[in-house]
Formats: sequence, C-alpha cells, structure tokens
Amino acid sequence: MATIQLKCDPYNLIIAGVGGQGNVTTSRAVGNMLSQLGLFVTIGDTFGASQRGGSVMSHLRISAACSWSPQIPLGRAHMIVSMEPSETIRTLRDYGNQGVKVITNTRPLLPIGVNLGQLNYPSASDIESWIGEMSERAWFLDATAEAMAMGNPILGNVILTGALAGTNELPMQRGIFAEIMAERFSGDALDMNLCAYDYGMQCVA
Amino acid sequence: MKQIKGSRELQEDVLARGLCVDCGGCVSLCPYFKSYRGKIGMIAPCTLSAGRCHAHCPKVEVDLEEITTGLMGRAYDGAPLGYYLSIGKARAGEKIRGKARFQNGGTVSALVAFALKTGVIKAAALTGREGLVPTPVLATSEEEVFACSTSKYTAAPTIACVNKYTMSRQDSLGVVGTPCQITALAQAKLDPLKKEDFRDPVALTIGLLCTWAVDTRKFIPLVSGKTDTGKIIGMDVPPPPAAVMEIHTTEGSFSIPIDEIRKTVPTGCAICPDMTAELADISVGAMEGDYSWNTLIVRTARGSALVEQAVSQGYLELHEMPEANLENLKRGATGKKKRALMRAKEEGLLNTDPETGRAALRISERVVERILTLS
Amino acid sequence: MSELLKGKAGSRHLLMGNEAIVRGALEAGVSVAAGYPGTPSSEVLERLAELAGDEENNLYAEWSTNEKVALEVAAAASFAGLRSMAVMKQPGLSVAADFLLHLSATGTRGAMVLVSADDPGGISSTNEGETRFYAKFMEVPLIEPGDFQEAKEMTKWAFELSDKIRNVVLLRTVTRLSHASGTIVFGSLPQTRARADFKHEGSFIDANAGPVLSLPVEYHHNLQQKKLQQAVALFEDAPFNTYEGPDNPELLIITSSVCGLYSREAVKLLHAEDRVGILKLGTTWPLPPKLLEKNLARTDKVLIVEEVLPFLEDEVKVMAMELAHRIGIKTFYGKKGGLLPSVGEMNPDKVVAALSTILGIPYEGVAPDYKQRAAEIARAGSPVRDWSFCPGCPHRASFWSLNHALAMDNQGGFVCGDIGCYSIAAMPAGFSTLKTLHSMGSGTGIASGFGKLRQFGLKQPVVSVCGDSTFFHSAIPALINAVHNNSDITMVVLDNSGTAMTGFQSHPGLAVDAMGASGIRIDIPTVCRAFGAEVIIGDPFELAQSQQTFLDLIARKGVKVLILKQACALSPQKRGHKTLDVKVDEDLCIGEDCGCNRYCTRVFACPALTWDNKSKRSRIDDVLCSGCGVCASVCPVGAIKTMEIA
Repeated sequence: MATIQLKCDPYNLIIAGVGGQGNVTTSRAVGNMLSQLGLFVTIGDTFGASQRGGSVMSHLRISAACSWSPQIPLGRAHMIVSMEPSETIRTLRDYGNQGVKVITNTRPLLPIGVNLGQLNYPSASDIESWIGEMSERAWFLDATAEAMAMGNPILGNVILTGALAGTNELPMQRGIFAEIMAERFSGDALDMNLCAYDYGMQCVA
Repeated sequence: MKQIKGSRELQEDVLARGLCVDCGGCVSLCPYFKSYRGKIGMIAPCTLSAGRCHAHCPKVEVDLEEITTGLMGRAYDGAPLGYYLSIGKARAGEKIRGKARFQNGGTVSALVAFALKTGVIKAAALTGREGLVPTPVLATSEEEVFACSTSKYTAAPTIACVNKYTMSRQDSLGVVGTPCQITALAQAKLDPLKKEDFRDPVALTIGLLCTWAVDTRKFIPLVSGKTDTGKIIGMDVPPPPAAVMEIHTTEGSFSIPIDEIRKTVPTGCAICPDMTAELADISVGAMEGDYSWNTLIVRTARGSALVEQAVSQGYLELHEMPEANLENLKRGATGKKKRALMRAKEEGLLNTDPETGRAALRISERVVERILTLS
Repeated sequence: MSELLKGKAGSRHLLMGNEAIVRGALEAGVSVAAGYPGTPSSEVLERLAELAGDEENNLYAEWSTNEKVALEVAAAASFAGLRSMAVMKQPGLSVAADFLLHLSATGTRGAMVLVSADDPGGISSTNEGETRFYAKFMEVPLIEPGDFQEAKEMTKWAFELSDKIRNVVLLRTVTRLSHASGTIVFGSLPQTRARADFKHEGSFIDANAGPVLSLPVEYHHNLQQKKLQQAVALFEDAPFNTYEGPDNPELLIITSSVCGLYSREAVKLLHAEDRVGILKLGTTWPLPPKLLEKNLARTDKVLIVEEVLPFLEDEVKVMAMELAHRIGIKTFYGKKGGLLPSVGEMNPDKVVAALSTILGIPYEGVAPDYKQRAAEIARAGSPVRDWSFCPGCPHRASFWSLNHALAMDNQGGFVCGDIGCYSIAAMPAGFSTLKTLHSMGSGTGIASGFGKLRQFGLKQPVVSVCGDSTFFHSAIPALINAVHNNSDITMVVLDNSGTAMTGFQSHPGLAVDAMGASGIRIDIPTVCRAFGAEVIIGDPFELAQSQQTFLDLIARKGVKVLILKQACALSPQKRGHKTLDVKVDEDLCIGEDCGCNRYCTRVFACPALTWDNKSKRSRIDDVLCSGCGVCASVCPVGAIKTMEIA
C-alpha cells in the first residue's frame, strides 16, 4: 500500500517527558499523521500512575512493511523528541547511539528528589554539552517559554511536533496535521495549534 | 567548649535519650519541633549542622563556665545558691494580697504584676493550665497574671512562648521559668549562632526554685482517675514528714503518695545541678517552714531595682531570711548539685570527650571536684 | 471516540489495544459491559460508557462498586440472553474470583467475555500478578491477543466461542498491548438489536431455561469440563495460533501475547530467521494437543517466551512429556532454567539475550563505549524521578496534617492504606506516612485488626486511609467489622470526588454514572453514621484545623471516621481553573537559615515549590502551580502570599 521510503525501516522515534506534559497526545498526533499515509505505526506508551510526576516515554515504530513491537530495543532509537532535558539524558542512556538525533525542550521540570534536597539537577550548559556529545545532531528549543507566550504551556508539545516535522526525518505533512487538529479544535484554539507547529518548524530550519 | 549541633543531634542527644524536660526551648524557633501534651516531637529533620535548637537546649552541651562568664562576667564556682546580691523572705504586698490564690506568698505574681504596671515589661511569658496539661501563656494584664498563679509541677514548654515573641520583633518581655528554662534563655541570650538579626526581647527573668518536675503524660493517669481535672485549683508538696503530693480541687483535696509521683519525674531532672535558677534576675521559691512566705534571691542590678521599687510601692513585703533557713536552703541546693553531677558522670554526660559525643553538662573538673566534696 | 462506532468495515485506524477490544466487542454485538477502574484496563469500559451515553447505541455500561459486582452485573445480562463483557485489571479478578468460580460452574447463556489486564513489571500497580492461572483454576478457556488487530479479532471471536460452549471466556491482555497503539482494520457491525429475557421455569439441569445454579456440583463440574474439551477442539483450528519460520528450525520459540512481537523482533535483530521458528499462540489454555504436537515435532530445542511467570512453560512441558513417546525428548529454555527472568516485563532485548546464548550469536545493541559514556552522563544528568502528589493535591495536605499530628502525639502512631493516588504517601513525597499498603480497602481491615491489640500492650494510635472510591469498593465491610468489634481506630476517607488515579471515573459517591447520566449519590458520612461510627467532615486544605482534629480523634477510643473532602487537582471542576495566584515574598523568605531550612521546598515538597539557588529563596513555578494556596499556611514566617485571580 505505502510506497513511502523511510530513512530507516522501522524508524524508531521516542517521545519523552514527565507525566502530565502531554506526551501521549503528542505521540498520538504524530502516529496518526504517519498512519494516514498508509504506514504501519505502533506506539508503546507508559501512562496512568506516571501522571504523578514520573518519567514517561512513548516508543513509536514506523514502518512501510509491517507492525513492530511496542518497545524499541535498547540503543536503537533514531530520533528522540523530549519535553524535559534530564529525560533526554535518561532516554539516551538506554536508547541512544552514535547516529541518534535529538530535539529537546530546554525547560527543566525538577524531580521531587531535587526539591527534597536529596538530589542535584544538572546545569543547562552541562546538559547541552552532554546531549551534543551523545548524538549526531541536536536541536534545543525553549518550547515552554514560547508556548507560554502563546498562551498555554501545553502548546510546547505542538512546537516540538512542528520541529520534528521540520527536520524531515519523517514524512510529516502539515496538511494532515491541520486535519487532525481540526477534529479536536476550532477557531482560535485551532489557530494557536497551527501557529505553534509552524513555529517549531522554523526553529529547526 | 560548647559543641553546637543541629536538629538531628538534638533528637539523638536529648529526645531519644529521654532527657527532654519539655521546656519549650526548641519550640517555635522553627517548624521542626512541636510540644503536645507535655512531650516534644520532631516533625521532620532539618539538615543544618548547627541550629539554635541544639544551642539553646538546657539538656545538651550546657557549658556553665561559658554561660556564667558570658552573662555575668564571673567564673562558675559551684557555690550552692549561685551568685546573688541579696536573699530574703518575701510575700505579696498589700496592693496584691488577696487578689488571687497563691501557691505560697504570691511573690512571683506580685513582681510580674508590678513589672507590667510600671512598664518594665510589656508582656510576660507565664505558665497556665488546661486540665492537667500545662500551657504557655503570654500575659499582658494583671488578671492574666493572676490566672497563672499557683505552681504547676508539670514541666511546661513556656520558652516556646518566648521564641514566638522574639520572632514577632516585640521587646520588653518578662519570663517566669524553672531553672532549666532560665538556662535555655541564658544560652539564647549569648547569641550562640552569631545571627545577623539576633534579638533579645527578655527584660526580666524570674526563676522558680525547683528540685524536680513531673512528666505530664505520666502524671495525668495518676490524677485523672481520681477527679475531674477541670476542678483542680492547685497542687503542692508539703514538707516532710508528709510523703505525698496534695491535689486541691473545688470539691476538696486528696493526696498521692510521693513515691508514685517520683516515678513520673523525667530523667532530665536527675542531671540538673541547679535548684535555685542561678541564671535568673530574681529567684523565688517556697519558704521552708512557713508556706505563706517565699524565699527571694536577687542576683542582678535590674532584679534588685525591681524588688526595691515593688517594696516601696506596696507590691512586695520583704524581710530578712532567718539563718537556719539559709543553711537548709544551701544544703538542699548542694544535695541537688551533687546528685546531678554524679548521675551525669554515671551516664557519661558530664564533660564528654567531643570525639566521642555530646555532653549534657560542662563544668571545669576543679569545680566538679569541689562540688562533690561539699557537705 | 465515536470513531469506534462510526468506522466502517475496511477502514484503517490507529488505536489503543483497549480500543481495539472495544471495537471487537461492538462487532460482536455486545449489549452490557461492567467493570471497575484499573490500569491498564480502564479505557475498555470508558469507551463503551461514552458510547452507551447515547441511547441510540443500545448499550449499557457501568462502573460497578467493585469487580465482583461488575462480574455479577455482566453475568445477569448473559443470563438474560444478552452478550456481555466484564472488564478489570488482574488484582480485580482476584476480587471477582469467588463469583467466577461459581459462574464457570453454572455456565452462561448470552456470550460473555471477561477481560482481565495484567501489568507486568508493575508499571502502574503494586504487584505484577497473573491472570492466566485463573483460567486453569476456574476451568474456563483462556485466550490472549498478540497484537492490535488480534485484540479486535479475538475479542469478537471470544464471544463466538463463549456462545458455542456456553461458558465465560477469559481474555488476557497486558499493559504493552492495552496501552500501546497500532494499526487496526475494522470489520462490520451487527444490524440486529438484542432483547433481554431471563428464562427460569425449566428444570435444575435445563441450562437454557432452568434456574442458574451450580448444583448438583459434580454434574455441573462434569459439564464444565466437557465445555473445555469443546473449546480445545475449536482451538486446534483457531486462526490466532500461527507459525512462522522454517519447517524444521534449529530452535522453536513458543510464545503468546505481545511476547510474540518481541520474539519476532529479536529474531530479526539477530538475522536468525532461517534458524528460528515462532509458534505464536492465541489460545493459551487449555493447549490444543494436536497443534502442539505438530509444532513440537519440528525440532528438539524449545524456548518459551511469556510474561510474567512460567505458566505456558509448565503447560507445554507437561504436554511434551505426554507426547514424548511420539515426538522425542525436548530441551526447554525459559524462566525455570533462568535464561529469562521470572520477574518484571519482557522486552525485545531480554529475548535477544536468550537467543544469543542459545544460538551462539553475538549481539551488541549499541557500541560499548557509547553505552558506558551514556551511563556515566546519566548518573549526574538524569536524577531519579520519583512519584509525587500533583501540585494542588488534597492528599499532600491531608498527610501533612496527619503526619504532624502523629509526630506531636509521639506514641508511634501509624497509618494503614490502600490503593489510589494516596498510596504515594508511603514515599517521602507523602512524608512516608503510610506504613502498610496492600489491596483495595485492606488498610481499614488491617487497622481493624491493630485496633484490637490493646490487650496485648499495643499503645500506638491506629489510623487507616481509603479513598472515596475504595470506600465503596471494599472498605465498608472492614469499617463494619471495626465498629461491631469495638476496635480503636481512626479511619480517614480521602474524598477527592472521583476515582482519580485511574482517570477520574465515577463511583457510587458521585451523582453521575459511567455513561454521564445522573446516578443516585450515596452519602459517605450518612453511611458511616448508620454503621455507628463517630463521623467528622473536614477540609484538608485547612491545615491547622485538620491537625487538631486528628489529635483529638486519635486520643479517643472506638471507631472515628474523618472525611477529608476536597476535589482532586485534576478533576474537571479544578483542572485549568486556577483561582489563586501564589507568590513568595523574597524579603520575608529566610530560606536555608536556622528557623526554616527550606521547609516548604524540602519538606512540604510540592513540585511547584522550587528553590532558587542563586537568590537562595523559594520560588513558585507558575506553570506547575495549581493555585491551591496551601503552602501559604506552611511557611513559618508567612512569606508565601496568595491573591485571588480576577
């Protein structure tokens, strides 16, 4: 059915973050966009209790050939899109490799252990250099700041989705994104989402 | 040399060892220690390695040499009654007599009421009672002072009230407390942590003569079975040969054998060498032999000034202390000092080597020798 | 999610495993569904309930008080000739077990499917218990979908199977199927509308029209076993048992559930397609002997990949032994031999490691120096992210006050809890207040026991907590027990107006039902008073008041119930409706100094309270703050200020 050639088949995408940041919504949106092109998409999410401040990850397997397992094998991610910087590093530890590409939101969300004074959170400059070291290509966006400027922090996910599209790693089409968003939003809300997507795209241009 | 540690050590050195006497010195400095029905509990540990809680506590690292030198400019010499300017026999003057039920002569109530009236103090941290549970009270009127009259044998967290007052940045506070409480105040006054925003609002301290106090939670079951605690109007320990504590209620009195009472005395009292509140401006207790009078010891200039004026304005009556009473008083005080030092030594709490832990008391070995050989 | 109903036959959709199950049930013509919320099963009932909310759809869906009742409700529909489904997570199956034992003996009329979802690795559970053994214990057929399309197909097929054998069919799913999403092609929906009629005038042994009984016991048990044999016969040809690989592979993998996907991926990663064959079973108990014989005969070496316990492994080994005289002795690899772990969830890498060992193929997921460096960086770069209460959570406030009270009371008082968001109170973020944590409602049952130990010298105050949902689920019998036996306990009902942890489903304490229609609200205080407990209602956000109430209650004998009522921060009425702006006055904040030592960020520990290491002051993260204002009562110097948002 699909005559699309992916950069890798299966293409292994991980969307990482902290519970409550909209991880699942993002993975669905991206998954739907690609599914509509006739590609086989499997998404493995962790959610439920992870809402309560825990790490969350969505593993997306995108393939023109068949369905793959909902868990990406260790060290085999092609692209990591992360809403939280320390989660990027956590994900790289298990799923990174020399060729991985990374898009990270730079806004930290402190683990409760840091508040409790038991743990330290790394500095922004350390994070940036480490991510750079452990990936082939890395993009850093302050998606939260821009999202808040647009009026809603949850738009951070949409910005990252746009950024992912902008890298051209996957055949993501703005038109399909707009259709999917139109199913849930209309009027100003719809516009805001599209604006965020476009903003993300230009960030990586 | 006093070691100053933090909340975790306070928990270890005092609370866990059962030495706490609920003086309230560590309460209301911060949210981490609270007193409830006579017992102090740590809500959560604070991570500071040195805090005022440990520094002020009268049951850990009390360096009497340091305190006496720092506050009074003199060495600690172990004299039975501590340093004093004068000692006498006193009772409430005609302006006060009859206004409330007093434990003995009403001296404390009279002095506090007078200090308030003349503006020497703006408020007084006193101890009230709810049933058998002692409660700190911040009194600002004569009525409130009298409402706190009569002895509460139960240890009370009155210093918590002082700490709150200090935080509220007011001044001119009077405090009536037991020797351990007076010691806590003395340590606090020395600003042990050298804080930038250090304040000392205490303008007057009146110490109560004390041989022991009772633990509220152990005391309540002894009494509550025998009466409605709301009806209690006073309690006292009559002199020997009566071996009881008397509880006075609106419906009559009853006694409890002193042996049963002794079982409720906190361990912290056993290592206390101070019977006469040696660090207070004025110390007051029952006059041995005539319980309608008080023993009055004046130690500082401001204490002296207050007593003089109170006498001249009819708030206090003062006479000479009979020699025999003085000798007995000294003997009693010496006895308590000796027992305390011996007990502290036994428990390894006297002059403990800092390498091995924290001491409860630090007194120069020379003075320790001296006290132990006093008759 | 009307996509689930609107989608036409042949259309492609990216859906969750749970949603695929729903579509399968709809295609089978299900009429009634009942369940109790439990991750990872909840969405099955949720979606059906959404659809049932529209009368046109001729569906009834219910969040029952607990799983036993849910199974009973679904059974009633079946007895009345309708197709029904019961949905729960595995521990819930244990709650329903007594009824299931009897149901499997009486049999069913309308087709009935019991969906039970396991959580290998306990990702959202306090255990990783297994559904599969129940099939054997209860003697009902067990089927397991292996991917998303099968989740739909096999659910539909399960109803057909149940119809044929006249007994309940157990369908087992796992987190990585239920909560994962994949591409599904829809089938067609039935056109007829079912009617209910419970026939009961027939004789004892009239399975279709007599009373529904399991008596006589041996007679029904015999029937039950015959039904199983019928199922086995159908299993032999079921399209969900597939073999892929060479006719005579070096190694045969026998697997089920999502482990099929992991196995396939592992074989591909090692490029061992010509050496390994995979028998993916969809019908996993009882095992179809002819199918097993045919496949076991292919080779001598067998690796069994399943999660979590070696259930399939044991069954296959017994069968292999029985067939040994015909197919020879096999060498088995699996959990029993230690090649695969018996704890935690399966994944492609674990299968790769096992295959690598058996076949002697080296494998490197990623270059070792990368792996080492990444691990090194992660030690400093990714601090552990423990669970915490959300900003604005009433539980944080409740446990704050409770913890304070117990510390002040200073008699070693403790709290027994159960399952819900408040389970987090066992961790530092909840001040480590919870000292026992087991199953739904068990906190109060345990407390009831502790409260009778006074005669043995136990002086410690005993407290239990439960939620508004677990109250109804199973805390009520424990409360009755405590009252009747005069146990000395303080029971705290943390009423946040919903079953929050699992996604805010309704329960009998709310005036709305699963389908969004109005339901009768059962008043918790009234119920407790009716039992004879002393009842007090409070607002957990009032810290001082709550603390004092706790102190008063733990000092008293008998059963006291304190209901702390405040809606969950994620509830519809609160989420996104911030009413207070909260700020730290930096001039008043004393930060790390003696007198505070970061009490708010370090001890109260709301995620929205952050420590600014430069200014050495606390700061409120506006994005995270929900505006509950409770921290203002926590600050010892009143440095936290709240302001109403216009």
